[in-house]
Amino acid sequence: MTLSSNPDRPRVDARQKVLGEALFAADQRVDNLLHAMTVPASIAKGRIRAIDSSAALKVPGVVRVMTFDDFADIRTTPASRGAYGQPGKGYQPMTGPDIVHRGEPVALVLAETLEAAIEGAESVSVEYDEAAEFTALMEQDGAEEESEVFTRLDHGDAEGAFAGAVHKVDVTYRHPQQHHNPIELISTTALFSEGKLRILEGTQWSSALAGGLAGMIGREPQSVRASSPYVGGGFGQKNGIQEQSALVARAATIMARPVKLVMPRGQLFHTASYRPRSLHHVRLAADADGKLAAGLYRTEQQNSRYDGYNPLFGETPPRMYGYPNWAGEDRVIRVDTQTPGHQRAPHEHPSSYATECALDELAHELGMDPVELRLANDTDTDPITGKPYSSRHLAECLRRGARMIDWGRRRREPGTLRAENGDRIGLGVACGNYKASMSPAIATLRLQANGVCRISLSGHEMGQGLRSVIAAELIEVLGVDPAKLDIRIGDTGLAPQMLTAGSWGTASVAPAARAAALKLRANLVELIGRDDFEGPAHVQLAKTRRPMLKVEIDTVPLGEGPQALDNLRRGLPVTTGPEYADFMAFSWIAHFAEVHVEPSTGRVRTRRFASVIDCGRVMNRRTTESQVKGGVVWAIGAALREIGETDPRYGRVLNNDLAEYLVPVNADIDWIDVEVIDEPDTRLNLSGVKGAGEVAMVGAAAAIANAVFNATGKRIRHLPIRIEDLLQGL
Amino acid sequence: MRAFSYSRPRTPEAAVAAFTDAGAGARYIAGGTTLFDLMKLNVERPTHLVDVSELHGTDLIETSGDVLRFGAGARMADIADDETIKREYPLLAESLWRAASQQLRNMASVGGNLLQRTRCPYFRNGAGGVYPCNKRDPRTGCAAIDGLDRGQAVLGTSDACTAVSPGDWPVALTALDADIVVLGPQGNRTIPIADFYLLPQDTPDREFSLEPGELVIEIRVPRTAAGRASTYHKVRDRESYAFALAAAAVALRIEGGQVRQAHIALGGIATKPWRSREAEAALRGKAPTRENALAAGRAALAGAKAGRHNGFKIDLAANTIADAISIAAERSAS
Repeated sequence: MTLSSNPDRPRVDARQKVLGEALFAADQRVDNLLHAMTVPASIAKGRIRAIDSSAALKVPGVVRVMTFDDFADIRTTPASRGAYGQPGKGYQPMTGPDIVHRGEPVALVLAETLEAAIEGAESVSVEYDEAAEFTALMEQDGAEEESEVFTRLDHGDAEGAFAGAVHKVDVTYRHPQQHHNPIELISTTALFSEGKLRILEGTQWSSALAGGLAGMIGREPQSVRASSPYVGGGFGQKNGIQEQSALVARAATIMARPVKLVMPRGQLFHTASYRPRSLHHVRLAADADGKLAAGLYRTEQQNSRYDGYNPLFGETPPRMYGYPNWAGEDRVIRVDTQTPGHQRAPHEHPSSYATECALDELAHELGMDPVELRLANDTDTDPITGKPYSSRHLAECLRRGARMIDWGRRRREPGTLRAENGDRIGLGVACGNYKASMSPAIATLRLQANGVCRISLSGHEMGQGLRSVIAAELIEVLGVDPAKLDIRIGDTGLAPQMLTAGSWGTASVAPAARAAALKLRANLVELIGRDDFEGPAHVQLAKTRRPMLKVEIDTVPLGEGPQALDNLRRGLPVTTGPEYADFMAFSWIAHFAEVHVEPSTGRVRTRRFASVIDCGRVMNRRTTESQVKGGVVWAIGAALREIGETDPRYGRVLNNDLAEYLVPVNADIDWIDVEVIDEPDTRLNLSGVKGAGEVAMVGAAAAIANAVFNATGKRIRHLPIRIEDLLQGL
Repeated sequence: MRAFSYSRPRTPEAAVAAFTDAGAGARYIAGGTTLFDLMKLNVERPTHLVDVSELHGTDLIETSGDVLRFGAGARMADIADDETIKREYPLLAESLWRAASQQLRNMASVGGNLLQRTRCPYFRNGAGGVYPCNKRDPRTGCAAIDGLDRGQAVLGTSDACTAVSPGDWPVALTALDADIVVLGPQGNRTIPIADFYLLPQDTPDREFSLEPGELVIEIRVPRTAAGRASTYHKVRDRESYAFALAAAAVALRIEGGQVRQAHIALGGIATKPWRSREAEAALRGKAPTRENALAAGRAALAGAKAGRHNGFKIDLAANTIADAISIAAERSAS
């Protein structure tokens, strides 16, 4: 079958979600449940001297207070929180008396009701021996720069080309700490069912959760089943085992009762991952015609003392344009804080912010239109490896976006375009890329003669619409009625579950669903002896008087072998890209922002946004556009609102709730227009899919910062851009 | 949060009696939007709650006489939506609908709103023993003064406290010389709003001039011709659902192109709702030009004292007053 363009379709689970029938992990009814609540450490570094639980145990309903004595046998492994797969890294709290970051759990109160657990947790008193000194921020004296550069990417003679160039910029940008703040808080429920320890947790990787927990608490991997029915905002924060997961699993084992913990939002700012502070030194040079001569990019990322979170800022910026010379290096700075992690477009958002703003500065220095500068440096081949891109429609994204935002209105001289009310109008552009990756997947597909179709598959539904992607392939190949589709994902009891992250969910799951559907169709064709039928496949099946057909399939991504499937089953990471044998593969996007800046207050309003995405074949137009709009909204937050504020004297995030950690509200968002290129990338996979969820946000914050410059003439080289940055001199 | 006992009387007198009976750990609760929040943070630890949300006759909204009367139990959303208030006192309506979210405004009472406590993060989040706070735990010190003080006050501060008075509605009421009627164990009394709020000085834990057991019953606002030419102008870090970085309540009576009467109060920058007689004096007798409006704004901030990160609020507040004067003057013309 040839690939067809997918029509607009509602999400297959839209109705259930709107009616509240889609039950998330913590919503599942569990009988005989014990409620757990953590006691967070009130120091940033030191050691527990004593824990007094007597008052807590007097609270009616409190059953037990657990401390590090109860959890000393939990092992820290490469699966533990913050290890990111690296032996010797990571940290499991409550396995000993030491405190390595503020807010880590120091006691776990178990009670018959949630209210008793909370009151019990507040009644536990802990005495500490506090360390004399600790360092909370990378700018402080006690911050420790790792002696080795983590990544280095060199091509040509960047220093030489930069030194010899006439037009250049040499700028430093800062990115703040940011927190995911999912609406679905992080929860873990542990219970015993069918002889197995069953974990209910909204995770993006249930196989690693099951396998990793088994290793940490000393159980056979087959004896742990993890289910992640829906994830209510993952975005990287739910990639792995949480600080609480093993504690809850162990507590359920000790108590021989189901235990549930929903971590309060205020504690999540310290126990869960977040986007770390980072610093970006960018040097760019070009000749008088705007041909890029060199890019030099040096970054520093704030990490915890113990984590294995890699600083990969330098991976994507050199792939944006035809840089003949490039030098990049990424470093890690360690301080006494909780471990950071992946947050939507984890490194690509900050790196695109810095480099795409620097490019705007270069355009200004050259006296060149920033769209023209980008077009002048378009390339079909990766400057670093010399390999061609599997597909790249960035120039078309730029041209279409420029039309959508009416780019011709833009004036080169900042501050000269005015609204009727005196607001300064600015237009800004920036682009983004994100690697096109894939994971292996395993699927079991059953089609019944009555039209009911069930598929069990690897992958997690995180609101991105993965069920709708699977549905699209089954509808196209088999003519399935969406109402008769039963899509089972996110559960290790049904299929091995891949990490669903890094924008590879659709590119991994769609080909698996399509391959399964094609195999089932081939079996059907063999049965009925003809392949020219039209309409639903189950109608043909019914004529054979067989009640159902079932196929099993596994898909291995391009360039991988059978070992990839083993790793998938064991909950180990397996992903490909961006480099493949014959090409490099990326998704691309162009963002255009129109901001209005109020001169008396410096308030910035993002009035219009236009984004054009090249993500390969679009599996569901509505969820793809939603992804891009969500990415843009997030970028508006990143550019103008979000910052986790840490007081270095205390090492604690001060604004640790949704009222004070500002994300955009509806009133902050005006028009966001999204267009899709929708050109299948068939070199990459059967479905022609690249990926949309991450690239959606890449470059969008830079477009806003560049628009702010165009409106005001001010280069604000940190985020968020706030009132105090713009108030003077407008 | 700790276990507490609870009663729900039907009359204000019974409420006061219930409070008195319960002793020092009692609190009144109406919409619960501040108290419950602080209980969850373990900052407030009442032993007994007297629910005043169903007291008879406290949801009055009376706009026909010489004095506007608002029962303490009236909901923020109801007054924000009142047609007479929107038309004749836009600053009152705007101060309400620019506060919080619709869901909160549906719950919160206008009497309880007067008693909303500060959003100073060191006050709110330190109950686990992390941050010292003179307001939360008297004489323990202030973590905000040498800390992340971007949101802290620049007017009315002391060496003990720089926490901002968070309200919007109290600022509008301050501009219009409202009276607060309270019922206590000793009976009724009326407190001018100027005396209702206390400066922190060296006792920032004392925020209101209420005596123990006193319950806000009613808010009274004298009718004024300046009401129509008024606004509550609120500048914040996002367009909705955020506290003010600077806000100005301005009501003007303009005759012959000159300001005859000016009511100006500030929010978001002071330790209490801040009436600026200086700004009013600077504007009186002048045309409401941009230049005069800015001069009035600067006069209001003459005594301001910046901390480490909040100096911008001084200029922002001055400009906000100026913008508010322009909006009010425009409404006078229309």
